[in-house]
Amino acid sequence: MNLKRIVAVAAASAVALGMTVAIATPSAAATNYCKVTNLKAAGGMDALVKAAKKEGQLNVITLPRDWANYGEAMDLFTKAFGIKINDDNPDGSSAYEIQTIQTAPAAKQPDVVDIGVAALNGVTGAGRPSLFANYKVATFNHIPTEWKDPAGAWYGDYQGIIALAYDSSVSPAPTKISDLTNPAYKGMIALGGDPSGAQQAFMSVFAAAIAKGGSATNIQPGIDFFKDLKKSGNFTSVVANGENYVSGAYKISLSWNFNGPGAIASAKAAGKTLKYVIPTDAVLAGTPYIQAINKKAPHCAAARLWEEFLYSENKGKLTSQLTKADLKLSGSKLFAKIMGGQNIFVLGGATPINKDAMIKAKKIVDGPAGLNIPKGAKIIQPNPDQQDAGKKLVVAQWPTL
Amino acid sequence: MQKSEATHLDRKGTPAWGALTGRLLGLLLGVAPLLVFMAVFFFWPLWSVLWASFQDNYGTFSLGNYIQVFQEPYLSAFKNSIGLGLISALTSSIPGAILAYLIESRGSERLRRLVASVSSVLANTGGVPLAFMFIAAFGMEGSATMLLKNLGVNIYAGDFTLFSFTGIVFVYTYFQIPMMVIVFSPAVHGIRREWQEAARNLGASRLQFWSNVGIPLIFPSFIASFLLLFASAFSAFATARAMSSGTIALVPLMIGNLVDGNVFVDSFNLGKALAMGMVVVSALAMIPYLIIQRRAARWQA
Repeated sequence: MNLKRIVAVAAASAVALGMTVAIATPSAAATNYCKVTNLKAAGGMDALVKAAKKEGQLNVITLPRDWANYGEAMDLFTKAFGIKINDDNPDGSSAYEIQTIQTAPAAKQPDVVDIGVAALNGVTGAGRPSLFANYKVATFNHIPTEWKDPAGAWYGDYQGIIALAYDSSVSPAPTKISDLTNPAYKGMIALGGDPSGAQQAFMSVFAAAIAKGGSATNIQPGIDFFKDLKKSGNFTSVVANGENYVSGAYKISLSWNFNGPGAIASAKAAGKTLKYVIPTDAVLAGTPYIQAINKKAPHCAAARLWEEFLYSENKGKLTSQLTKADLKLSGSKLFAKIMGGQNIFVLGGATPINKDAMIKAKKIVDGPAGLNIPKGAKIIQPNPDQQDAGKKLVVAQWPTL
Repeated sequence: MQKSEATHLDRKGTPAWGALTGRLLGLLLGVAPLLVFMAVFFFWPLWSVLWASFQDNYGTFSLGNYIQVFQEPYLSAFKNSIGLGLISALTSSIPGAILAYLIESRGSERLRRLVASVSSVLANTGGVPLAFMFIAAFGMEGSATMLLKNLGVNIYAGDFTLFSFTGIVFVYTYFQIPMMVIVFSPAVHGIRREWQEAARNLGASRLQFWSNVGIPLIFPSFIASFLLLFASAFSAFATARAMSSGTIALVPLMIGNLVDGNVFVDSFNLGKALAMGMVVVSALAMIPYLIIQRRAARWQA
């Protein structure tokens, strides 16, 4: 009886052992990158780079090249890893990203998305099917808890602060939002779209609210401020964008600070001098934009490598600094050599989500000059619920501004 | 059809179903491409919008979207959009009709051809490029503004701004008047000179000819053209969006914000209910045309 039991147990464990071995061996040979939830499971950086290179492509969606330095990030990724990036509808909206995931055919599916918090809240939550694949980047622990899904379905990546952008010919130069009532600015002030539809314009109204005695729970003074600006003729409802700026249709706008470096460069190319300054009477931070890997991603390894790259805190080389010798390095060595995405955001004027950890480890690079937050300023960041409450007022009142 | 059926009966005593169905089949094959086109590009999208408009954002049946359509700011958006359609149609159809008449009655063949081709180019100018053209020309620092300023006329001295309801009506004339010329010219062309001469020979004055013959003849066409202009101004999106930043409540702009914005992503179906509202307004606008058309057909026949 005893012996029998021993034999049985031994046999059972042998079978079990054999099975583990049998399962483990083939899975090591062919990793299913669509199911991989962290770098270790991906077989390390060398294996991930190799698999991503084999896929050869990455589908991104609605990433403007001059938005938060994404142009540099995409160029560097393509040059370092030889992976072609397809950017669908660069100027599209977060809603477009979600609709594409829900309706596009398999090959046109984005691998990764960069969406606003409103869009995230529209598709996540109890009882709704998850659109995103769980993956924890190597620096996952550095992301503040409130800005990540515990399982790694999504995480914040960078955020902006509302800045005043103005043409150098504007006199006097504005330094705060309440300056905008100056009669010298007649017909000069514009917003980056309709605040009922464009997040940048919506947050600009919030910034005006802060400047005029409002708060994260009170956007009304901001709406009233623009109502007054419209009445005085200072606010023109032309959309603030590159073409309209160059044509002289407006001279002052409110914009995310991380669009500054790109806009300044485009203005320079058109023979204009554009300046950015953080207003001294309102330092309004947006909620972070959100990264997520699409569950239906056609290039699973490249998608994961892209996220590792965006959350890398390396201080390293940019596209123009990479040498041929660098490109011959192994995947992990090359990855360690290039500038990490978090620092690329810094160079673009954005605040990376891992900022605190990077400052602590002295890994953060210097951002562009002129976009410094005024000393001692209190940063206001309306949370998604406060934004929802603000939206209701804007939608009701903006059409009759 | 009845006739041919009768002949078949006469000849063989039984209906020639084969020939009949063959004919029907031929007819069907002939219109099939049109039917398929209509199904794919008209009925299917219409159906899917209608279907979604009766659902909340998570696919449950709901009348909530339609309840919201009748509340602010959507109600004023409908009033403004209908107003914009009517005013734009009015300000463009009358000058367009006069222009069409002058060109058809006085112009040489060469001028007529030139106007036709120029009009078709202008009538198809729209969207963001159109808005930008006007911003570049009539904006604060636009080239036309500057030219006028040098001539001593400052269009910005008063309250004028391109970025207002009036500004949008002004910009729309750029494609609306040429469109009127295109669609209305054939009607003017239909008034034969012989009729005018006949009326004059019978002692009618020019005014009498126009009030008794000319205008009644072209009135249905005028109304049809007017409605076309109404529809194009009522539904135009990109130009108004580029010029207003949403400070004027217009239905297409609100649909745009709801289905393709960064601020809202949980109200797609409200946008679809608004779209159905536009379909209903457009359909209602056809009713006066049908009535006039029927009355006209009675004495034209």
